[in-house]
Formats: sequence, C-alpha cells, structure tokens
Amino acid sequence: MIISPHYLAETRREFLKHTGAGIGAMALGSVLNGGDTGAQKPHHHPRAKRVIYIHLVGAASQLDLFDYKPELVKRNGQKCPDHMFKGKRLAFIREHPLLLGTRFKFQRHGQAGIELCEHLPQLGSVADELCLVKSIRTEHFNHAPAQLFMHSGFGRFGRPGIGSWVSYGLGTENRDLPSYVVMITGSVAGAGNSLWGSGFLPTVHQGIEFRASGDPVLFLSNPKGIGRTERREIVDGINFLNKQALADVGDPEIATRIAQYELAFRMQTSVPELMDTSKESKATHALYGTQPGKASFANNCLLARRLVERGVRFVQLFDQGWDHHSGVFTNIPRKAKQLDQPVAALIADLKQRGLLDDTLIIIGAEFGRTPMLQGRSNGGNAGNVGRDHHKEGFTMVLAGGGVRGGTTFGATDELGYQAADNPVHMHDVNATFLNLLGIDHERLTYRYQGREFRLTDVHGHVLKDILA
Amino acid sequence: MGLRSIIAIISLLLACHAIADKKHWAYRTPLRPSLPRIDTTWPRNAIDWFVLQRLGENSLKPSPEAAPEQLLRRVHLDLIGLPPSPAELEAFLKNPSTKAYEETVDRLLKSPRYGERWARPWLDLARYADSNGFQADQLRDSWAYRDWVIDAINVGMPFDQFVIEQIAGDLLPNATPSQRIATGFHRTPTCNVEAGVHPEENRVNQVVDRVNTTGTIFLGTTLECAQCHDHKYDPFSMKDYYSLFAFFNNTPLEVKQQGSGVTWDFYGPTMDLPITGTKAKQLTWLKTQRTSAAKQVEALRKHTTASQLDWERTVLKQLASAPKWSNLMPTKFSATGNPTHTIQNDSSVLITGNNPDRSTYTLISKTIPRRITAIRLEALTHESMVKGGPGRNKAVRENPNFIVTEFRVNADGKPVKLASVTASFSQRGWDAAGSIDDNPKTGWAINPAFGKSAWSIYRLAKPLDLPKDAELKFVIDQNYGGARTIGRPRVSVMDGDPSALTLPDDIVAILRKTNRTKMEHDNLAEHFLANFPELKTAESKLAALDKQIAAIKPATTLVMVEMNKNRPTYVMKRGEYLSPGDAVNPGTPGVLHRFKKEWPRNRLGLAKWLVSPENPLVARVTVNRWWAELMGRGIVNTQEDFGSQAEPPSHPQLLDWLAVEFMQRNWSMKHLHKLIVMSATYRQSSRVTPELLAKDAANKFYTRAPRLRLNAEMIRDNALAISGLLSTKMHGPPIYPPQPAGLWRHVGRNAPKFNVATGEDRFRRGVYVIWRRGAPYASFVNFDAPDRGTCVVQRPRTNTPLQALTLMNDEAYVEMALAFANRVLDEAPATHGPEGKIDFAFKTALARSPKPTELKFVKTLLLKRHAFFEKNQKATAELIGNVKGWKPTKDTDPGELAAWFYVANILLNLDETITKQ
Repeated sequence: MIISPHYLAETRREFLKHTGAGIGAMALGSVLNGGDTGAQKPHHHPRAKRVIYIHLVGAASQLDLFDYKPELVKRNGQKCPDHMFKGKRLAFIREHPLLLGTRFKFQRHGQAGIELCEHLPQLGSVADELCLVKSIRTEHFNHAPAQLFMHSGFGRFGRPGIGSWVSYGLGTENRDLPSYVVMITGSVAGAGNSLWGSGFLPTVHQGIEFRASGDPVLFLSNPKGIGRTERREIVDGINFLNKQALADVGDPEIATRIAQYELAFRMQTSVPELMDTSKESKATHALYGTQPGKASFANNCLLARRLVERGVRFVQLFDQGWDHHSGVFTNIPRKAKQLDQPVAALIADLKQRGLLDDTLIIIGAEFGRTPMLQGRSNGGNAGNVGRDHHKEGFTMVLAGGGVRGGTTFGATDELGYQAADNPVHMHDVNATFLNLLGIDHERLTYRYQGREFRLTDVHGHVLKDILA
Repeated sequence: MGLRSIIAIISLLLACHAIADKKHWAYRTPLRPSLPRIDTTWPRNAIDWFVLQRLGENSLKPSPEAAPEQLLRRVHLDLIGLPPSPAELEAFLKNPSTKAYEETVDRLLKSPRYGERWARPWLDLARYADSNGFQADQLRDSWAYRDWVIDAINVGMPFDQFVIEQIAGDLLPNATPSQRIATGFHRTPTCNVEAGVHPEENRVNQVVDRVNTTGTIFLGTTLECAQCHDHKYDPFSMKDYYSLFAFFNNTPLEVKQQGSGVTWDFYGPTMDLPITGTKAKQLTWLKTQRTSAAKQVEALRKHTTASQLDWERTVLKQLASAPKWSNLMPTKFSATGNPTHTIQNDSSVLITGNNPDRSTYTLISKTIPRRITAIRLEALTHESMVKGGPGRNKAVRENPNFIVTEFRVNADGKPVKLASVTASFSQRGWDAAGSIDDNPKTGWAINPAFGKSAWSIYRLAKPLDLPKDAELKFVIDQNYGGARTIGRPRVSVMDGDPSALTLPDDIVAILRKTNRTKMEHDNLAEHFLANFPELKTAESKLAALDKQIAAIKPATTLVMVEMNKNRPTYVMKRGEYLSPGDAVNPGTPGVLHRFKKEWPRNRLGLAKWLVSPENPLVARVTVNRWWAELMGRGIVNTQEDFGSQAEPPSHPQLLDWLAVEFMQRNWSMKHLHKLIVMSATYRQSSRVTPELLAKDAANKFYTRAPRLRLNAEMIRDNALAISGLLSTKMHGPPIYPPQPAGLWRHVGRNAPKFNVATGEDRFRRGVYVIWRRGAPYASFVNFDAPDRGTCVVQRPRTNTPLQALTLMNDEAYVEMALAFANRVLDEAPATHGPEGKIDFAFKTALARSPKPTELKFVKTLLLKRHAFFEKNQKATAELIGNVKGWKPTKDTDPGELAAWFYVANILLNLDETITKQ
C-alpha cells in the first residue's frame, strides 16, 4: 500500500480534530509533533512574533531598581502607616514594621526621562526602548504559588504557562528547534519544572530546557562508541523498519515517528551549533560581557538572541537569587550588575539586527517587595536590612515587540505600597502579552474538563496605552 | 377531593415527570438494556452486539481478528504491561484457540504484574507522588499507599470497597492498618512549606483539591467551577460545593511551624508501618540477644547486692580513718596571658581581670607535708564568674566551662609521675584522664556541671617522700582556647589512701546515714554498681542492643485522621477562604441520588454515597476509563467530564450495560477487564486502511483495534523485560534508576539528592520510580508523564524528537540495549546461525518473526558491524564500556555483542516496540 505524504498530513489533521483538542487543535502540528512547522494564523495582526521572558526568580526589589519613591526615602525609619500593616497578610513580617527608603540614587535616562537606579546604567542607555509598568498586582505572596500564577494565571499546579499557550496558539517558525525553550541560572525556581510544563495542553507545548552543562538538551549526546556515522546507520535502520511497518499497518503516527527520528538526528548538530557562541564576534561578546563556553546569565541572554533569530517562539530565562529578605542594599548592586549589561546588550543587539520590533522582551518577577523593612536591625546595618514579599504594587519592564518605548505606565502611591494610578492585574499583563502576539486572550482557549480554559481565566484587560 | 385538586395533582406529577426526563443522561440511573441481537456470528459477548449495532447504523463493518501473536502481545501489554516471553509466544502459537486465549487472560489477571500495571492510571488519578511540590519540594513517605493500590487491584478488591477504604478507611469500625494506609489517597495533595506560607491557606487549597479530585474521579464532574460561583452549565451550586467541602474539612493542618519564626515543616498525621522483611529478621535476632543480655545483667546485679554490703563496710572504715587533705598555700603563682590573681586565705587563687584565650597557671608551694600519695586540684566557684563558674569560658555565653589540657607536677625540679585520676564530674568526651595523657588535644572539662565546685584527684605512681624545704611546682595547661580556664584553682595533697575520698559528697552522706530513704538506697546501689566493671560491661551491652532495636524504626505513611471537633464550614465568597458566607453542613448535591439517613455525615457516609448503586455516575465513569485505556477512546470521549458540556456517549447503551454489569458483578474490575478483552471488538486487527481512515478516522465506532503508543512507564517496563534485566521485586520505598546528573536542583531547605541505584533497584518497574513533582523522572516526562501536581485522567500521547533521543541515548536504554544484545547471544538457539538469533530477537521485542525484507536488512547490518568490531577492539571496548549495573555472560564474544548492540538499539526504538497494536 502506498500512502502519499499529503494524504498522511490530511489524515493526521483528521485524527487531531477527533482527538478532542477543540479549536486550537491545529496548533498541535508544531515542530515537535509533525513534519510541518504548525505556524498558526494569529487572531489579529501581531506586533510581536517572539518573546524573551526574563524572570528574576525570588522577586527583585522594584523599589531599589525601577520605582523611585522620594517620600519613602524621606520617611525612612518611621513606623509604617497602619493601613500598610494592620489587617494585612504578609509572608515574613510579624511586627509593625518601619518604612525603608532606597539607599540608591536614581537617574533619568533618554528622551523620555525614564527613572532607573544607579546600578542600571547600561539599561539607561536603552531607556527609550523601555516601557515600565509600575502598578501591577498579583494574588499570591509565597514564591511557588505566585510563580505559578505569574505564568499560568493560577496559583496551583495543573495549568499551562504562557510559553505553552503561545506555542499552542502560534506553533513555531523553526522545524529543527522546539517552539518553547527554557534556560536557567542558579537553582530551579520554587514551583520547579511545572513552571514550564504544559499543564492540560498537549505535552509538545511544554518548555524544553537547554542546559548550560551536560547535554544542552537531555539525551542529545550519543553513548560512548557511537559517532555521527554510527548514529546515522542506526537511525537509518530504525526508519527502514518503521517504513515497513507503515506500509503494513498504515498508521499515520508511524510516518510522524519517522520524521521525528530524522529531526532528532538533525538536533544532534543544530542544538550544539546553537549553543556554541565561539563564532560570535568579539564585539558581540564585549557587548554582552560573555566568553564562549562560559555559563552565565549574560550567556543565556546571548543564546536567547540566537534562539529567536532561528525562529524559536518563546524563550524563558530564569535567574535565581533575587529574594532579598536581608542585605537588599548589598545584594541589589551585585545582582543588578549581572542583569544590567546583558539585558541592555540584548535590546541593542536585537535592534541592530532588526529583530527588536517583533521580539517582545519581558523582565519581571512573581511579585514585588515591601516598602517596609524586614529584619532585626532598625535600618542601621546594611547587611541585615531587607524587604518582604509584596503583591500590592510592583513593576515589570517591557521592551520591543510593539511596546511603546520610553514610557512609564501606572504608579504606586507615594510610599510605593499600593498600585494607585492605573492599577493593573497580572491577568491584564498576560492579556497584553498575548495581544502583542496577535492573540485575543479571550479566544485562545482549550477545552478540558468540560469547559474552555484560558490563560487569563475570566479576567484580563489589554493595556492599550502601552501598545506602540 | 375536588376535580380541581385532582387536576392539580396530575399536572404536578406530569411536571415532575417532565423535569425528571429533562435530567441530563448522566444523572439518570443506568438500566441494563437488552442486547440488540441480529443474525450474525461475529459477536463473542454482549459488548459486541452494541458495537455491531452502531457499525451497522453507519454502514461499517468490523475488522478481521488480529493475528494470534499480535493478540497475545496486545493482551499482555494491556493486562500486565509487559510483553509475552518467547516461550509463552511459542506455546500460544502452537494452539491459538479461544480456550488457550481465555486461559492466557485468566493467567494474566492472576499475575502480580497486573496490579502493578493497573495501579499506574489510578495513581495518576490519585495524584500520588513522593514529594510535596512547591518550593524545595522535599520528599515524603507515602509509598505504602502506592503498594496498597497494587495489592488491592491484585487481590481483586471490589471497587466499592476500594473506594470506601481510600476515602474513609480510617472511619471504618475497627479500621485495620491496611484500611488506614488506603486513606493515603487523599493525603497526596501538594503542600507548600516555603517560609512565610500561611498554613490555613495551604490547608484550604488541599481540601479544595480533595473535593475537586473526588468530583473528577467518582462523578466525572468538574466541581471546581462551583467553587467561586454556581456552575455555569451543570446543576451544581456553590452551596453544593461547600457542602461537599464540609466532609473533608475536619483534618488537621499539614504544615507545622518551626519555633516561633516563619519557617514551616511538612506535617500531618502519619502511621507507622509494620516492620517486615530483613528488618523484621534483624529485629527478631536483636530481641533474642537482648533477652539473654538482660538475664546476664540481672544475675550480676543479684550477685553484687551481696558484695555491696562488704563494700559499704570497707568504705565506712576508710572514711573513719581517712587522711585529711592539706591545702597548699601558694608561695608563688603566675599565669600566662596576664590575668590578675589574688591569693585567698583558703589557699585558693582567684583569677580576675584580663581573660586570655589560653592560659597556663604555675603554682609553687613550699609549705608541704613530708610524704604525699595523692594530689587534688580543685576548681572553686566565685561570684565574679558567670553562674559562679567554676570556669571563665567566654566563647560560649552562659557556659562557664574550663578545660585542663594537661596537669603536671614537679618536685624540686623532677617530674612526679601521676598514675590515675578520678574527678567529681567529667564532661562527655572530656574525661579527667585527658589531663595526664601528654596529649594536648584532650583534657578535663565539666559542662554542664556549672555553678558548683569541681575536683580531680591524682594518685601518685608511688608515694613521694620529700626533704624539708622541698619545693613543689604545679603546672595547669589550659590551651583549648575560648578562655576555658579555671577561675579559682586550689591544690591540696595528702598521705594515705584517697579511695574513700574520691566518693562524691552526697554518697558519703548516704553511707553515713543509717535510716536511708528509698531514693537514697537506690542512689547508693546505683553508685556501687556503676563501679562494678563486669556489670558495667553487661549493662552497656544491653544499652547498645536497646539502641540498635530503637534504630530499626518502622517506615511511615501519610493517612487521614479526623479531628475530635469538627471545623465549621462556610460558603467561601468568590472562592476566597477569608470571605466566609453562609454556614453549611456536610451534604451531597441535590441533583444526584439521595444521602441515606443511616449513613453518618462524615467521609464514611460520603464514601458510601459515592459507591451507592443509586449513584448514576461512578460505575459509568469508571468503566468508561477502563474501556478507554483498553480501546483507545472512551465511550464518552471526555473521560473527565460527564456533564452537559461532555461529548455525548458514542454507545450509550453499551456504557449503561457495562456500568450495570460492573455493579451487579460485585464491582469486579477483573471481571470487567476480562469481558472487554474477550470481546470480538477487542480482538480485531489494528491495521488502518485508507477506507477506515476515511470513514472512521478517530475510531469512534471501534472499526478496528487501536494502535496506541505505550505510556512512559510501560515503555520502560517493556524494554526492561525485552532486555532480560527486569526485576519483579515488588513494594517498598521508591527507586532511583539512572538519569542524567544535575536534574534535582531546587531552591530551599533539605533539598533531597538523586542517588542512582546500583543494584536490582535499577531495573524495577516504572511504578516504583521516585516521583518528585518539581522534577519527575526525565525519560518519563519525555513520554508525557504528568508532574502529578493534580489529578490527571488522561495523559496526552505525543510523538516527538525528544522521545527518539531518549530511546537512543538515555543511559538506561543504552544499558538495556546492551543487555538485550547479550540476552540474544545467550539465549537464542545456537544451531540456526544469525537467522536464528534475529528471529529470537524479533520474537522477544515484537512477539513475531521478522519478515524476509527485515531479516535481510538486519542480517546485512549485523554481519557488517561484526566484521568491523572484530577488527576494532578499541571501538568494541568503548561501546561495551556502556554496560553498567549488570555483567555480560562470561563467554560472550565482545565483537559480536557490540554488533548486536546495533540491532538491539534499533529494535528498542521501533514504533512497533513502543506501540500496542
């Protein structure tokens, strides 16, 4: 029996339609699940085609990086007003705390005069590309639930994150790489691998971790004694026998499997090639502050550029070490230094390559930090001073991808406690991200357990004011 | 009664009837439909009549029966999750009769492997895992529950009992340990113990999970919709939701505060498991040992009671005639580190002022007796020290300790040999003997005997006779650091036997008394016995055995326990636990069957309600899941949802027939499984023709048997069985088969380590593999295993390049491929050459012989590779170097083994190998 590839593709679609995936089912044809790339038509004209999402795990202090509050500095050391403590639930603070103003200087940058902490000078140099949303609220003040909420719109396990939703909605533009790639510096965030798991979506939409040490993708390397030629011989053997089976039983799934072995074989060279930055120019390495073969957050930023350049839809960078319950004034300069240059470099590099316009960059965390002091010391000892978890008002930084550069949207109150002007919810932020990608967050749904699920549940308003 | 009333009643009855009729099909009690028989011989049992009816309605025909070898492999994978062995295959193919097939089915249903295979989907539903989830994701012990599921399925526990024990085993009268272990079912929810967590929020989330999971598994209903508002589509209100919630609202908090801070630990009720296996044997042996040791101690004690009286007499005599200590007034005192010292009237030296880290005191005295047999060093208390001393320790606040690292004596410049020492008290690990052993690292210290004076008495090796005007020099080294120095030393000497004087003061006091209290009597006996060496040895042996026995701790498992007092339950406005609305009592949704009066309003009552034959959902939902697992597609395709938004059943009558059959046959899972696998529907060929694809692409009408990729665990188990490495060891703590290093790297306290098993545990079935929610076993994840953070009804079935990479390169699969190669060389009949071996390999992996084209292809590859490896020993060694955790058969030719790795690696990667067809 001869079955044409076209026929197989058709029957495969027929299969998918009937396997209960609902209206998004066509997106299943992503690279990891079939021959075609599965790139989907978005709901409306997309401003961004790709995303680089940088998660500052542990929750960076917005008050010491992005959200300058002179009144808070002025009232540093005073008991915080009752409304900031009484009847509030806080993760760590148990006694009426003092106010803690930042000890850093802030400077205005660019034409728009975006205000940034003195430890982010390089980011200042691309300030006119940045959009700071300073009035975000979320639902949880413990790390793991807040991280799950940030990515999946739900504070417990079981739902897909935004990367999976985007992969499901838009597929990928690269046949040889996953549509959703994850890279990590430091340990894994509290919610673990579930943060990039696909929840109830088909597992082809889960994030694939590219690792800095060992195999860049799990099981990519051949065992000892098997080289490229030998692996080719084995893949040929597998596929020869699989083709016999296809001819015999006619299941289109076998055709897909044959294609996947070919893709796996290609990935064995394409992924190491991607991870190898030695051919990047000296200037590029100088820009990012990277060295070929040396793992770092900066290196992940450079790899993120290489990934989006190759059409990977969603790149998620996790950077651990921002949970500053103590030593906030000693840790922020150290961590900001790791963040500042590479992110500024990434923005500049994408711009110079003409990729910034349709690549959305997101820098944010699961929540913010309190304007109140946490720690024994009454503000005297910099080593002890810290800030607690805070969900009432914090900042995310966006760039590129159809975002209006050089803007600040929303504001917290004068003490940096509550989102006051244009308060937005994490659901609104997620709705906006999807909108930038050409997706209507109310229409990107997946049928599961008798209802249509969305990233934004039954909430979410697009922040039209920040769209370019 | 007037006509009007009668009409009213009739209208009312009609209205009720109409309402009842409008009820969604799934909420109506299933009734056994009659079989739609027609004139044909195809059907083998009831199932087939219903399937045939739908085929006929759609002008479709069933596929022919599958080839015997395919059927045998299919039913093995379906019932026990493992392939038939070449021997089983051979036996069946000799006589593939219906009877032989039925016997096979019966054998498989009795195999312990059956429970292991069918536990897996249940554990997905039960969201069973070995860790807490969330930050740090520490491990928890709940594997006894996993074993309970395996065993319950194996013994054929009726499903209603299976449910009752899991939901409320603890509430059954005289609950057995097994019934309590079963309640681990609802102790599986994730638990956040990250610092700063709010325990009540965590608890509410866990109860929500219990309610939602109960709804999904037993009612096929998405109750969670009613958590924040009345269900949009199905007849469940918020009140219904929180009434169910109330059943689960009486278990204690599961996180516990550490101290007074914001750090929390996983907590909640556990039970000790009975001790079994080697541990039990060890325990029995130790207990025997203990009995004889205890007897010996008893005998010695008896013997010594007699000798105690003699001892008392001697000591009293010694005390009466005891020589007196003479305190030596220092002629000269110096201390390194320059503290201030003041010689006191009682001959002691008070050290104050500067508090050096280390200090050596030198005390010289000339006013001395002529003959000396013992020397006493005292450390006296003084108000100038913390707690009165007797040490000046500044390193540890509130611990006025001292350490005499060495004590030396010189008489007129000549060293005096000290033979032994006894002290008022010695700190553990810091015996006074350390002060005369010439080892500067040991010494005499007294923690925690603070606030009272301490002494050590040194016996001279031989009496010292001194000339007149002789000079004695005492050197007290205190070189440990932290200012562990004596604050008020005094030295005394004596001539005579100091034995009696080494007794503690309280013992001396007791000895002198004639009327002793019971406590005094015991204390004295205790003191005497403590110095009786034989008894001391016997006693320490007994103590050591007790310690060993205590160390054999029973394993524990998580269980449900009801609190003494029920928590009140309120509707939570908008689903927020901080916004309580109206109070509710435990109750079940009004749209479903009634809650009987005789049932208690607790989890046990709920469990009985769930498995009541009047429940229209539980049997339907359950048989539908099994049907889908075996036939590839549920009769209701949305297995997790039977509500109004569900896909209507493709074969409603078949579903009801199976549900009623299930309940009437004592809720027997094995009976249902046998019924399905014996049907002609199940036994069809799985071949997909273009015609079938065109007419029934999704196999909605069961026009053929399904071709389904195996699930993650089964892929592993199947490959292990093919390779011959599979261990059938059952039960116990989770196992750690090989996975790449560095995948467990969580944030937080007490992060566990993944230590790869080196022995048998490397090769046990997937159901026993450690399930860490934040980082599940890597190769399982690539084959669509969930994180088990939440109840999973249906795993996706994807087809990805990562799967290809896993099967080709994962250390575990490379090892299996080499073992498979070795097995072929070891077990294949030697007489038939490479063809015979290839045939054996195909039969082992695929339960069939190779086709001519396949045989030719494999043989060519094999011969080519064999020729290569015979010439390239280095390449051979390198490849065979991947063998870990097992050893190749002794006389295996390495070149041949390496060549066969190619074939084995290929066979383990085939679509057919990882597919049930």
